[in-house]
Amino acid sequence: MSADKSQLHTSHATEPLGLSNTIPMPSLDPQTPITDSKRPPGPWQILWKKFSHNPYAMIGLVVLLFFVVVGLLAPFITKYDPAAIDLMFANLQPGAGGHLLGTDELGRDILSRLLFSTRISLLIGFSVALSSVAIGTVIGAVSGYFGGWADTISMRIVDVMNSVPTLFLNILVLAIFGSQIKYMILILALTSWMSIARLVRGTFLQLREMQYVEAARAIGVSSWGIIFRHLLRNASFPIIVNATLMVGGAILSESALSYLGLGIQAPATSWGLMLSNAQEFMLVDPKQALYPGLCILLVVLAVNFIGDGIRDALDPRQQATKSRRRLDQWRKNYSKSEN
Amino acid sequence: MAEKLLEVRKLTAGFVTEKGLVRATDQISISVDKGQTVCLVGESGSGKSVTSLAIMRLIDYAGGMILEGNINFHGQDLATKKQEEMRHIRGNQIAMIFQDPMTSLNPVFTIGEQIAESLQLHQNKSGKEAMKIAIELLKLVGIPAPEIRAKQYPHELSGGMCQRVVIAIALACNPELLIADEPTTALDVTVQAQILDLLRKLQAELGMSILLITHDMGVAAEMADRIAVMYAGAIVEEGTVEEIFNHPSHPYTNGLMLSIPGFEGGRGGELYTIRGTIPPIGQLPAGCRFHPRCPQAMEVCRQQEPPNFMVSDDHRTACWLFKDHPAEADDRDEVRRA
Amino acid sequence: MTEYLIRRVLQSVLVIFLITVLTFLLIHAAPGGPTQVMLSPGLSPEIFKQQAKNLGLDQPIPVQYVRWIGDMVQGDLGYTFKNHLAVSGLLWPRIGNTFILMGAAWLVSLLIAIPWGIYNSTKVYGLSDQTASFISYLGFALPTFWFGILLQQWFSLKLNWFPLSDMYSRGHEGDIGDLFMHLVLPVTVLSLGFLASYMKYARASMLEVLDQDYIRTARAKGVKERKVVFHHALRNALIPIITILGLDLPILVAGAALTENVFNWPGMGRWFVEMASAREYSVLMAVTIVTAVMVVIGNLLADILYAVVDPRVKLGKQGGGTA
Repeated sequence: MSADKSQLHTSHATEPLGLSNTIPMPSLDPQTPITDSKRPPGPWQILWKKFSHNPYAMIGLVVLLFFVVVGLLAPFITKYDPAAIDLMFANLQPGAGGHLLGTDELGRDILSRLLFSTRISLLIGFSVALSSVAIGTVIGAVSGYFGGWADTISMRIVDVMNSVPTLFLNILVLAIFGSQIKYMILILALTSWMSIARLVRGTFLQLREMQYVEAARAIGVSSWGIIFRHLLRNASFPIIVNATLMVGGAILSESALSYLGLGIQAPATSWGLMLSNAQEFMLVDPKQALYPGLCILLVVLAVNFIGDGIRDALDPRQQATKSRRRLDQWRKNYSKSEN
Repeated sequence: MAEKLLEVRKLTAGFVTEKGLVRATDQISISVDKGQTVCLVGESGSGKSVTSLAIMRLIDYAGGMILEGNINFHGQDLATKKQEEMRHIRGNQIAMIFQDPMTSLNPVFTIGEQIAESLQLHQNKSGKEAMKIAIELLKLVGIPAPEIRAKQYPHELSGGMCQRVVIAIALACNPELLIADEPTTALDVTVQAQILDLLRKLQAELGMSILLITHDMGVAAEMADRIAVMYAGAIVEEGTVEEIFNHPSHPYTNGLMLSIPGFEGGRGGELYTIRGTIPPIGQLPAGCRFHPRCPQAMEVCRQQEPPNFMVSDDHRTACWLFKDHPAEADDRDEVRRA
Repeated sequence: MTEYLIRRVLQSVLVIFLITVLTFLLIHAAPGGPTQVMLSPGLSPEIFKQQAKNLGLDQPIPVQYVRWIGDMVQGDLGYTFKNHLAVSGLLWPRIGNTFILMGAAWLVSLLIAIPWGIYNSTKVYGLSDQTASFISYLGFALPTFWFGILLQQWFSLKLNWFPLSDMYSRGHEGDIGDLFMHLVLPVTVLSLGFLASYMKYARASMLEVLDQDYIRTARAKGVKERKVVFHHALRNALIPIITILGLDLPILVAGAALTENVFNWPGMGRWFVEMASAREYSVLMAVTIVTAVMVVIGNLLADILYAVVDPRVKLGKQGGGTA
């Protein structure tokens, strides 16, 4: 054990704030020889190896990358301004007049609106996730590390935030402050950091008692130094999983708020806003409702697949249950006993 | 010679993992006579628990399976029985107690209910009758105020008390064989002695056989009629308790003896440790599985797995140091071929 | 038990207090404060001041808060600005309507999700489990309002099987059969979301329990596998499931805003959105607080239920649930 600990320490000391040794599992396992001369693969490599063997996760990654690229290159893909109204060319069928997916009731090019909506959705999805992680990590860390009053206060705040119906609070804030993207990101982040805070707090409570933290404290590393050097590493992978799933949630919330008329406002465009229009013209042109919904579904599915992929790659128990199906086959082939 | 109750022959059990099929036990042979206590001794990871789960056929539920071998019990082979048939044997003729009494009891049922369940299952007792017997059983295993305890939940009892309850559950149907998997490991030292005393007393009263699984040579010395030493999935030495303690033959057994605190072979004050660690299952070395850690390893040990040699009539060991002794009947062909 | 109860109730009261403060401050943080929005523009400064005084808006904020909370406690939720109607009179019928919709969806999804999740835990990665997993993914990723719109397009406009929207057809108010037809589509939409999470919980909870030592003990006793699953495992697995159900109780009143908007259901959610657009702050405050109170009560009930079903939760000891 002492050898394990010393290895943990040197690796913590030599590496700056990188996340590359977040899971010191291999060196903590007493059965694995740690004197091996060739460097074992880091946790990121192990993670990637498992992740890339998961077809769903990889499909998710490809789909997400597709949307990212398409969103970034939107102005180069389409020549139409998504906000340009041209009543002469309203309600065109797909393909007519060079409009690949047709136009809506105001003559706006549907494809170009879809493309530019991608930007909004991804922007909101990722900024909300990042801000939530920032808020949740700070509050969870303070709460878990210092305990006592800091913990009580933070957890009451978590209780309060968990008790206010999220959608109502979002609507309330947007109604009061006006529907601007910055307010939307702010309120979505402020209503979704709680799970991260609890997760970070839990990890901290668990690890606070571990010996290398005691040791770090003994050699005089400051409290905050301990928090961010030693403890956060251990929480970072679960945070990533949580944040990934949060991206999907934020995209769904944005589209919902925009659908309700409280989110993105014309002339800007978003999938939710497009759906809101489409419902009004459901009788005239049912196809209009199809595209934006499909985009939301695909992006959110992709993000969720990625999140689950990371989680599965991290969770050794998940792997064990996964082989149950194979076990049944093996049992049929090899087992002496029949069931 | 006493009547054989359980005879395990060349039992191989394994698990399916990411890397394929892994053998957790390798051709284990062990037998238990009526009224006898046999101890299966070895480090953690040596396959002791897998052996016990395999005998109970509980291994099927733990993601493993029996690959080869027989488990003869009353002339029936348990290895090929259907789970539905095993169900009538489990808890009835063969009972088992587990390592951690605190987690072995269902937290949402009372102690009484959990004991009574076996009786209702196997002896068609009514709920009331079963509860009466359950209280008797609690008294038998030395729990004071059994009427009150029967109505309590596991979390209201101490670890030692819980283990007594687990024993009461196991004894409910008067089993012929009790498999005890590290019954004292999770308990305080003083409580350990009490539980072992209780097991001995109950065995004398009820006349059952015990297969005791432990990592503790001291426990084995105290309890066993016979001892089987397990290492990395195989039994490396087996014999009567006197034979094993007076003439330990396998270098691994020697090492275990020397690492018992206070044992006469121990060097003054400092505890002996066997160098290296037990190989994880599925990563066995070629030849003798113990040779990388063996102080007396020879060339042949690296090449070939040793068969069982009979040190005496009642004592076999799987070590090339004893190649001048006759091989065990089962292994003779192999030796001739070698 | 009583000590634990008292502590939890006090905690809940504290949370409710904090929520009212939060809501109150939010409204007063609005640009110009509530005065600006609540009073018609174009009033002469004197009348403006007079009006503000009548409404008590000239008082210091803490005084206003105490007054407002005092009214709230007495059941006076304020008045709409536009027609000066009592909010409480408008609120309760809408809560009832939402409750009908959500209750139906909740029941349907529970009846499907729990048995299905339990079944899947015993046959992991079987066909049924894979199907359930697919539905779960859909349920988590499908925008509810889009799903609603698609159902409307298909089953209402195209096939004309079910009505497009509203709670009753005109002239059929109070007709149960008519209500049922109106419920089918929105309940389908809502159930999918519930189904996705409850099925996952039930399965995960069962899998966790089936891995426990005491399940092995039960099998070692010779208990039938059916009984192992439905007696020994289920009793334990239900504990976290019940907790989650308790925590979700408030969704019954708060969770349907989107679906209600799609299907024009006259419930709380749709009303809230309407009132938000009309900047009816007293309604928004009232609804937010009423729902929050229900959430807190739901959490409290979940904790009490937890203490009742789990013998391990000791009397007077800090229970699980909300930390």
